[in-house]
Amino acid sequence: MFRTTICLAVALGGWCGCGAWADEATDKAFAVLKGYDWGQDRAALQPIEAAIAASRSDGAARKALEQRLAEVLPTQAPQAAKDFVCRQLSLIGTAECVPALEPLLLDEKLGHMARYALERIPDDAALQALRTALPKASGLRKVGIVNSLGVRRDVSSVAALVSLLADTDAQMAAAAAGALGKIGNADAAKALGEFLAKGPEALRLAAADASLVCAERLLADGKKAEALAIYKTLSKPEMPKHVQVAAVRGQVAALGQKK
Amino acid sequence: MSQGQRWNRRQALRRACAAASGLLAAPLVVKANVLGLADSVAPSERITLGFIGVGMMGRGHVHHLLEYAQTQILAVCDVDRWRRDDAKNTVEQGYASQAASGQYKGCSAYNDLRDLLARPDIDAVVIATGDRWHALATILAAKAGKDVYCEKPVSLTICENLAMMEHIDRYGRIFQAGLQQRSTPEFMRACELVQKGRIGQVRNVYVTSPGTCYDVNFAPEPVPDTLDWDLWLGPAPWRPFNRVFHHVGPPKFVVPWHVCPDFGGGNLTSNAVHAFDVVQWGLGMDESGPVEITPPETGKVPLLTYKYANDTLLQVTPRLDPSHHTIPPGWDANTPIQVFGALFVGDSGWIHVGRQGFLEAYPREILAETPASTEPDRPVTNHHLNWLSCIRTRERSACSVSAGCRSTIVAQLGCIAHWTQRSLQWNPEKFEFVGDVEANLMRQRTMREPWTV
Repeated sequence: MFRTTICLAVALGGWCGCGAWADEATDKAFAVLKGYDWGQDRAALQPIEAAIAASRSDGAARKALEQRLAEVLPTQAPQAAKDFVCRQLSLIGTAECVPALEPLLLDEKLGHMARYALERIPDDAALQALRTALPKASGLRKVGIVNSLGVRRDVSSVAALVSLLADTDAQMAAAAAGALGKIGNADAAKALGEFLAKGPEALRLAAADASLVCAERLLADGKKAEALAIYKTLSKPEMPKHVQVAAVRGQVAALGQKK
Repeated sequence: MSQGQRWNRRQALRRACAAASGLLAAPLVVKANVLGLADSVAPSERITLGFIGVGMMGRGHVHHLLEYAQTQILAVCDVDRWRRDDAKNTVEQGYASQAASGQYKGCSAYNDLRDLLARPDIDAVVIATGDRWHALATILAAKAGKDVYCEKPVSLTICENLAMMEHIDRYGRIFQAGLQQRSTPEFMRACELVQKGRIGQVRNVYVTSPGTCYDVNFAPEPVPDTLDWDLWLGPAPWRPFNRVFHHVGPPKFVVPWHVCPDFGGGNLTSNAVHAFDVVQWGLGMDESGPVEITPPETGKVPLLTYKYANDTLLQVTPRLDPSHHTIPPGWDANTPIQVFGALFVGDSGWIHVGRQGFLEAYPREILAETPASTEPDRPVTNHHLNWLSCIRTRERSACSVSAGCRSTIVAQLGCIAHWTQRSLQWNPEKFEFVGDVEANLMRQRTMREPWTV
């Protein structure tokens, strides 16, 4: 039924050009969205998704939809409404909607959904929002932002992430190590090496795992010597057996690499 | 305990879990000694196991792996207190019935998988959570140095597959995807014949179980005291509890949560994935996949249709319809496609395979050929035993991480095609859609904190 509605809306939207019928349905759906809460009829929001699908090759229409969606975020709309908005913006969002998403990064209930959108928005503005929010955030929200900076492999955040390796919250320090591993440049490798040697015993496995990832990134970037140095450290007998195995496998891969 | 008593206990256990096994279509339970495996194994030689997720599928795995003298189940984990306590009791009662004292207390029960994975005395884990946890739990297990058996679909998103393959490969872990038809004789035979060209060039393949899922919004209900809802959701976006997603206590359905895209992908990922695995295997595509996916929403095709690089078409349909399918010689158009199975149609015949020994072909003489002999030391008709054997030998399992991920990706591609409502071009070498930004964005989802892969 939902699919039929979408297809019909897409077809009519395309046939009518701008689609007056679709606009009316979309307006009605946006009106519902303002008060949309958990347990409400999901089909009521389908026209918005149909309008988004129909606007794929219409930049102006898509921009207008992005704006209308972003306008919901600063309002008192329920969490379910903003959840829906973030999901849509994760697919069509640009730098234009970042200012509306950024404050949500610190929101206990919506921090994840803000990242859900921002992590997918390729514009540097999305990355900058994550960087800006990092020092302001705390607890799980901060861990999430660290994770996103790692997924985006944000080299500009290396210094901030290195400082978080010393965080007394083990979860935070482990997240920072993981993010640095994914970024995988020389500065990250150096910090992870020190963390592995001097960090808490309880985080040794997290440090080793991040170092392995970092070595793979370095190797992929042609920095064979740096990668081999990491593998050599991780293959020492004091490392857990499976880490040693991984390090030896890494060494073999590195040595087999032509350049 | 005599063999007779032991067998009776096993039969009783099997009967008890038979109904619950449902879609597990568990590997045939053959006594370990029949398979040439020692009936008594020194404790130090046993493979120690932990179970993550003991709902309907997980319970089936517990019952089956409890059978083997070469394994010792040390721990179970579930966010539903009733389920983990029930699984713990099952394990302890099972071992007690084998002990001279008639007593056994040695199975721990955990709410949080991280506590189970932190145990250095556990060699391997069986992951039978909901799809949202599969990749994450696999990766955490690999990081902890454990070998893994993971239920299908092995992941929720395409990029999770890549992360899984990386981690399993990095740590050299043995991974067995719960696509157990890889260890089932009729499927092995069918795929062998297809690969040998006995039906000529394969032009069309048909499988059933169509359909994905779309976002839902169920009314909030109070979270039961015995359920850790936050950990149930895990990496998925937060949403309120509703009993549709999880029935506290004994499971009523296999995958109730697969109606919501945050937790699954509907029929395609829950059921058709078994069939896709057979298709990938039969077509020799374990390291590749289709290159084009066209959903019926486009109006270009009546059914979800995949195309491989050699122009072989794969369609998801309950039966062949003469109005838009060419009915091959020897095929009755009223015949339904076997659930979890596949119909391979080639230039010179067809092979139709399904569970419970179903194997038909046209011309029938194709099946007269003597099958390739199986290696005597590989218990090929038992997916669990294949996994255990590979843990010892460190050889590639029947359904390795790359094969399991590739088959899962076929299902996920179908979901994304339905969701985008357009024909998609897929590059199976780069794991990316060609020229479609939005579809590429759908390959990955941000995990809820603190989780990431």
